[in-house]
Amino acid sequence: MISPLRIWVIASNTVREAIRSKLLYALLFFAILLIGTGVLVSALSYVERERIFQDVGLAAIRLFSVGIAIFLGVGLIHGEVDRRTIYTILSKPISRSEFLVGKYVGLVLTTWLQLAIMSVAFAAVSFATGAPIDLAHAAAIGLTGIEVMVIVAVATLFSAFTTPLLSSLFSVGIYMLGHLTRDLRQLGAQGDVEGFGTFTVVIHRVLPNLESFNLSLHAAHGLPISAAEIWLPVAYGIGYAAALLCVAAYVFERRDFR
Amino acid sequence: MPDDGREVVRVRGVVKDVRPGLGLRRKRILHGISLTVHRGEIFGFVGPNGAGKTTMLKVLMGLIRASSGRATVLGHDVGETEFRRQVGFLPENPYFYDYLTGREILRFYARLSGVRAAAMDKRVATLLDWVQLSDAADARLRTYSKGMLQRIGIAQALIHDPEVVFLDEPMSGLDPIGRKQIRDLILRLKRAGKTVFMNTHILSDVEMLCDRVAILVAGRIRFQGRLEDFLDGDERESDVVLSGLPADLASRFEERYGAELRGHGTRVELRVKEKEVADLLRAALEAGAEVQSVTAYRISLESIFMRAVESAEESS
Repeated sequence: MISPLRIWVIASNTVREAIRSKLLYALLFFAILLIGTGVLVSALSYVERERIFQDVGLAAIRLFSVGIAIFLGVGLIHGEVDRRTIYTILSKPISRSEFLVGKYVGLVLTTWLQLAIMSVAFAAVSFATGAPIDLAHAAAIGLTGIEVMVIVAVATLFSAFTTPLLSSLFSVGIYMLGHLTRDLRQLGAQGDVEGFGTFTVVIHRVLPNLESFNLSLHAAHGLPISAAEIWLPVAYGIGYAAALLCVAAYVFERRDFR
Repeated sequence: MPDDGREVVRVRGVVKDVRPGLGLRRKRILHGISLTVHRGEIFGFVGPNGAGKTTMLKVLMGLIRASSGRATVLGHDVGETEFRRQVGFLPENPYFYDYLTGREILRFYARLSGVRAAAMDKRVATLLDWVQLSDAADARLRTYSKGMLQRIGIAQALIHDPEVVFLDEPMSGLDPIGRKQIRDLILRLKRAGKTVFMNTHILSDVEMLCDRVAILVAGRIRFQGRLEDFLDGDERESDVVLSGLPADLASRFEERYGAELRGHGTRVELRVKEKEVADLLRAALEAGAEVQSVTAYRISLESIFMRAVESAEESS
């Protein structure tokens, strides 16, 4: 029987660990610095200064959110096993799956908290420079939050059975491919190399389609966003992350902690 | 289910094979371990380093899976989760979240163990007092010494008032004061009716604390039982100290009784089988010797332990 309370105990402690980590504050400082740098970059241009600033700002938010998610995610489970803190935890009435989900939820909440802080900085700088802020920006940042959910799930899956170094390589690789699957599929459909088309279809189906979470262009250019462009990626992201967590839990339940 | 409720830990034919590295060859760590621990006793699981003690304990804690055989704790398969409300565990050289304070880590484990919020603060304070860490309760664990970490480890194992406590090398690396504090805590548990399963290679602790022991050597149990039953009557020995014994007679005694002769001159000490003491005394008195003392010799656990290791080496 899965206990939400036990999951919450692990999740809240994971957030507390992040809050007490100095390294995270340093990362957050650089993220906010990069958002601010957008103002300087835009000052170099005579046209569309607000758009350039917001392009840089939203890109910085996405980059740092995903970077922090991978950075923390790859050691999420491995660190507990390596430092042997997991021994005393699993001797309590908590299942391995509850522990894994708790760690995942904790890291997602941590990255969302950072995302919120970066968003406030972005909004403050936009307000100060007179750049327009509307719901499209909120939607773009919201979908970044969903993308981070997926990336944390990818990192958690690898962290459940391999080292942080390999997890980093796999997670970064999936992140990069995840942004290219749509293009790859189009390339495969146009090309005439035998088997390549099928390969790109499989890649597109199996790997996360991370471009579906990217509304930065809409936000920066003031393009209209339909409801389906929001709720479909949200449903897809939650479903994809849940599926990855099921696989991670399956692997983790069978591990020996020697 | 445990027989008549007395069996707290029941292990039958547990085998653990591992594959070191990427090779296909398997290495057997545990060779068909069977043991039973009864309610209310302190059970010592004794063996040299690398014997497989920690592996067995991890099987009991569900941290690794046995390749075959069955292990139950309080009648539950060790793979289950909920029964761990009644189980406490202190791993060897325990590691904790060092960004938390002593009080915070105990609250964390209490919440995981399902301790009710209303009772939590009192329970945490009680445990901090038991392990004498009340003064350091609000310091981060990264500032704790090894002995303090060991004590906070004991406290987390007991935070939910478990029925049975598993301790892996609880005294390792501690100074004499730290060892005494842990020993006192273990005895306190016994007085409270708890069952303690303790892995150790420190034999003096076993002799002082344990009601029963199992000796594990190279993944096999070489002996299991009460300390006083280690030797049957035939093997009990006594030290006899004599004076004024003629030198030739001392040598004859040594030969005749298979005695171990120590000392020289007019005062000699002989270690003989208990059943032969009367015979030896009679002969010594007839030869004009004087009996200084007769002391029952209790063979040390260390001797038995070494004997078990040697017999394992011979058989391999």
